[in-house]
Amino acid sequence: MSKLTDYFHTDWAAMTAQDWAGVIITVGAFIGIVVTFAWALSPGRRKRLEQQKYNVLDDDD
Amino acid sequence: MDSATPKYEYGLLKFGTLLTIIVFIAGTTIGTYAASELAWPFLNFDIPELTFGRLRVVHTNTIVIAFGGLALFVTSLYSVQRTNSNRLWCVPCAWASALLLVGSIVGGIIGIAFGLSQAREYHEMEWIFDVGIAVGWLLWTMVFVMTIATRDKEKVPHVYVSNWFYLALLIAVTYLFLVNGLALPVTWYKSYSLYSGVQDAMIQWWWGHNAVGFFLTAGFLGMMYYFVPKQAQRPVYSYRLSVIHFWALIFGYVWLGAHHLQYTAVPDWTGSLGAVISLAMIIPSWGGALNGMLTLSGAWDRLRTDYILRFLIMALAFYAMSTFEGPVMSSKTVNALSHYTDWTIGHVHSGALGWVAMVAIGSLYHMVMKMWNTEMYSMKLINWHFWLHTLGTVLYIVAMWVSGIMQGLMWRAYDEYGVLAYTFAESVAAMHPYYVMRAMGGVLVVLGGLVMLYNVVMTLATIKSRQPAAAAA
Repeated sequence: MSKLTDYFHTDWAAMTAQDWAGVIITVGAFIGIVVTFAWALSPGRRKRLEQQKYNVLDDDD
Repeated sequence: MDSATPKYEYGLLKFGTLLTIIVFIAGTTIGTYAASELAWPFLNFDIPELTFGRLRVVHTNTIVIAFGGLALFVTSLYSVQRTNSNRLWCVPCAWASALLLVGSIVGGIIGIAFGLSQAREYHEMEWIFDVGIAVGWLLWTMVFVMTIATRDKEKVPHVYVSNWFYLALLIAVTYLFLVNGLALPVTWYKSYSLYSGVQDAMIQWWWGHNAVGFFLTAGFLGMMYYFVPKQAQRPVYSYRLSVIHFWALIFGYVWLGAHHLQYTAVPDWTGSLGAVISLAMIIPSWGGALNGMLTLSGAWDRLRTDYILRFLIMALAFYAMSTFEGPVMSSKTVNALSHYTDWTIGHVHSGALGWVAMVAIGSLYHMVMKMWNTEMYSMKLINWHFWLHTLGTVLYIVAMWVSGIMQGLMWRAYDEYGVLAYTFAESVAAMHPYYVMRAMGGVLVVLGGLVMLYNVVMTLATIKSRQPAAAAA
């Protein structure tokens, strides 16, 4: 393959049910990880999340 | 809660903690004996139950399933109570779970020694024992989830991150174990897997690597996120990083299994995908390891005097090292050299002895002092244990690195006519010094375990002489 576009060519008509399941799961996992990273790294959520780390120090009998 | 009722339930956990230490010694002793058989084969005495083929599987099951499982069981039920400020939900259910798990695992391991095996790696126990483990596991999950669910939500509105990791372990291993274990029983002690061929290989390593990912990583990270801050008496370095660590592990880990099947009959792209995601996993793994280590930021001097903390921090160093080594070994170029060699055994043991055992040992020492409300009989003996275990681990993995890379190079060497330069038997003979060195490493680890057992037993035997001082402190 000499053309870059050939690397990204997909024969959509030949996709099987398993292929589609794989694509959906892969894309779903990618979106999921982007959403959770954005959620955790949002500056507005920093203080609220970081507060939780102190609770563990206060659990003695 | 009745004022006479203790805030937390420790009876089962005390029993489980002692059993975990005993199982660790048993598992490492069996492993050391099996390793010695490779250096001195006469040690099998032609007794089938003592042959390496059976003893090796008895060792892996005793360490991974029995020791690892027990360590996770006791630490999860200890920390879930304390992080949620709630007594264990349904103590009889927890006892039933423990008895079912221990009974089934011990039965399964004895069965393996006598030749009852499904021949599925890390899932060798026959179906009848699988059923017992599955029921015990579900009971454990129920007790854990309900202890969180019945907490006082006004007092504890947030579920601490260590519980997320333990939950990932409990949920993921449930479906992994059930799907991989699907089999047709033909007698009480014999079954045939529903899978065959390439699908069988894919399912086996989907289970195999996720057992590493969720049993030996996620569960033990739950342990780390609770016990490192508690022992250091400092909050974890970054809570946000722990959240990212968790979700990256959940989304990423399930893709890695196919990297165990490079250069086999499975489609080439599956191995490539496994390797790419494996390399990507270095980032969250190192983020998590740094998160644990940087918890000591500004208090590194604690490592000079707190030997329990040494175990926990050294565990994180091994976690970082093995989560870098694993992805490198999964890439096709390195895998072509490393696969089927002792390098893999070295890698597994840097994770098992360095990460899993050390974080568990540190956590168990912490729990002994807290649950019995006492100082240890001897802090010096913990230091002895630390050095015996660390030196034993380093000796073991260095021996396997050298022998593994030597094996790989000997197997691929050829002369100017294209003929293999060495026979397989020559490569076996070349391994002898490294197998002796590996066995010596194992002996040191076993000695460390015996020191721990002695220290814990003496702690309990002499508890009355120290408790008033501890209470006053």
